[in-house]
Amino acid sequence: MLYFDNAATSFPKPPEVAQAMAQLLATDAANPGRAGHRMAVRAEQKLDQTRLKLARFFNAPDHHRLVFAMNCTDALNMAIKGVLSDASGAHVITTVLEHNSVSRPLQSLATSGGGGIELTRVTCDDDGLIDPDEIRKAIQPNTKLIVMMQASNVLGTIQDIAAVGKIAREHDLLFCVDSAQSAGVLPIDIQAMNIDLLAFPGHKSLLGPTGTGGLYVGTRCPEPVSSSSGSGDHPAAFRPWREGGTGGDSSSPSQPAMYPFYLEGGTPNTVGVAGLDAGLQYVIDHDMSKTLTHEQHMVQTIIDKVADDDRFILYGPPEASKRVGTVSINIKGYEPSDAASILDDSFEIAVRPGLHCSPYAHRRIGTYPAGSIRISPGPFNTDEQLATLLDALDQIAG
Amino acid sequence: MTQSLDRYHRQILLPCFGEEGQRKLLGSTALILGCGALGTMNASMLARAGVGRLIIIDRDFIELTNLQRQILFNEADVANAIPKAAAAKEKLSGINSDIEIISVVDDINHANLERYCGLTEGSEYPRVDVIVDGVDNFETRYLANDVAVKHGIPYIYGGAVGTFGAQYAILPHTEKGDAPWEKLPGATPCLRCIFEQMPPPGLTPTCDTVGVLGPVVSIIANLEVVETIKVLLGNFAAVRPTMLNIDVWENTYRQLKIAKAYDVGDCPCCKHRKFEFIDGFFGSSTTTLCGRNAVQLTHKQGHVGTGSHSGGGGMNFDEIADRLRKHGKVTANKFMIRAELTDNGNPYELTLFTDGRAIVKGTKESNIARSIYAKYVGA
Ligand SMILES: Cc1ncc(COP(=O)(O)O)c(C=O)c1O
Ligand SMILES: [Zn+2]
Repeated sequence: MLYFDNAATSFPKPPEVAQAMAQLLATDAANPGRAGHRMAVRAEQKLDQTRLKLARFFNAPDHHRLVFAMNCTDALNMAIKGVLSDASGAHVITTVLEHNSVSRPLQSLATSGGGGIELTRVTCDDDGLIDPDEIRKAIQPNTKLIVMMQASNVLGTIQDIAAVGKIAREHDLLFCVDSAQSAGVLPIDIQAMNIDLLAFPGHKSLLGPTGTGGLYVGTRCPEPVSSSSGSGDHPAAFRPWREGGTGGDSSSPSQPAMYPFYLEGGTPNTVGVAGLDAGLQYVIDHDMSKTLTHEQHMVQTIIDKVADDDRFILYGPPEASKRVGTVSINIKGYEPSDAASILDDSFEIAVRPGLHCSPYAHRRIGTYPAGSIRISPGPFNTDEQLATLLDALDQIAG
Repeated sequence: MTQSLDRYHRQILLPCFGEEGQRKLLGSTALILGCGALGTMNASMLARAGVGRLIIIDRDFIELTNLQRQILFNEADVANAIPKAAAAKEKLSGINSDIEIISVVDDINHANLERYCGLTEGSEYPRVDVIVDGVDNFETRYLANDVAVKHGIPYIYGGAVGTFGAQYAILPHTEKGDAPWEKLPGATPCLRCIFEQMPPPGLTPTCDTVGVLGPVVSIIANLEVVETIKVLLGNFAAVRPTMLNIDVWENTYRQLKIAKAYDVGDCPCCKHRKFEFIDGFFGSSTTTLCGRNAVQLTHKQGHVGTGSHSGGGGMNFDEIADRLRKHGKVTANKFMIRAELTDNGNPYELTLFTDGRAIVKGTKESNIARSIYAKYVGA
């Protein structure tokens, strides 16, 4: 199988990932924090080391505010519902490119009766780029939050989040970044980019296993509801959307108002985090910029093949430098799902057809509802594999 | 039960029946799997004979082309688009109101068949004493075979297409070896003892692609009913131990001796007690396609010639394309066949790929997609 579906989840993972997970399972897979015995302590330490490593990787000032999540969707729900559940009447700015893990929580807050929010979806240009100035123009007196992605999962286009972060800070807004397609390939600096909430998956370019992800919650976000004062009298509190056991402070009737425990109710995925730790280490050791260059080279090769061939349709900019390792195309005469099935069936090539959970993006580029064929190479794809893919596309297009 | 047995007088007269036999029948439960040509005849005869409880499962709705052979239905059912199982229950209640008839409109699959057989903890269905085959595809048969062997329930296999039919009774080998039939006359080989794997998708002709003669289905269905009654009476020695193959046009009636299949083979099901169809390891699965009114159907394993990938499998693309042309516009290349079909008045587009997977456009329901696939490709 030739795997070109890294935007969904990366494959293969470096062997160290499975090794780290097996090791943890074999020796240290106790429930962290819940007991003082040495295995529990080792598991807790493992979590804490990875937390710190991730915080440093994203240049987050306080690693305790980095909470583990089960995927990027989980992290985005925590972030969006966390800051907005007390913010009735607040205005939120997002973009048409967003994934359903952003659009749907926002939509449900916008349509929920009573404490609903007001929502603006800023559109992109024909290439799939968001102009930060359009975001600035959308700001209203009641705007509270800007939520957007750093790179599109449909077009791969890289957005200028540093510029948007600056705007957000100038207007005293919270800025939440969905780094699903960028964490592990594009530099992310929480402080320099003025990011208040960073959601990331562990299982894509950070090369960890599925079931991992995380959220950084900056200090400009509303404070947790303190356990002693109960809820209700904190109009602008950050709400945990999952409450439960935290391994400490069990006497308190409500969730302890301390990070990371505030948002980490329940037994954490220590085995997954051990894998994520190894994946992250691989990324750190192998120079992210080289991975980006490699993936952009692959994308450019695909673009060069299809851009001027009228059997194909290319979406997004012709320059791979404007993208992470993702490109969407269609083959004329084929539904994307049919073409992808042929790639799998006759050529053993994995790509992803459809809407990629981003219906507004496909509406914008005119591919709704059939969608497109998304090709997303990763760090381990070779030029030879790419040649096989291009040949297959050629044969199918006929 | 204080029912009068008068209505069963003519069969009670038979030496093999008697009043005792009749009471046994009234106290038993039969599952009729599928309610098409085979199933309607099975259900009709078993209801008339006084099997106490019938569970009838079918996912389909009645269509005009069913009336040629599916004896319980009429034109009004077609006009009202009634589910087959529901219509059958209504008709049968008018034929024999003494018995209980449970109708289920659902796709039969690995997650639900044991429950419908009353074999899972907390199942709302009574435990069945026999499974009668009225289905139109091999996947469901192999699943029924798994259930039969796992739980020691006789499974009466039957199938008919064109002018050909086959019938065979499986008295399964059980784990403990203590089922009443295992001493005498002895258990019979299961479907997987005989053919370990299912035929490749698209290779077996279906009634919807090559046609079927009404009476051949009735004959096979009635042969199934005979074996079912023997089983429910506990008269296992009378069960025909052979597989009967008939072709009513060629006038061939063959009995295949398959008793040795169990001994000579290494059946994963009977011998190793591996129930790969129940476990969902073999068979097909469906997913609704992102953004589309379409369902993708893929095969896991368990077909001859289809592994995880086989680049062509056992599919004969040209032949399938020819068959599909009788139903609508077909375009094909070496990678896929696309057919525009009208089924029960609704338009569908079926795209078939070389490994047997398919995309059915025009529905989001896996039931419908499976039904279209079973009818026009053959599963
Ligand atoms: C842009 C974007 N956001 C969010 C997600 C959700 O990530 P996860 O699958 O980890 O929940 C994805 C995943 O495809 C994505 O591409
Ligand atoms: Zn067997």
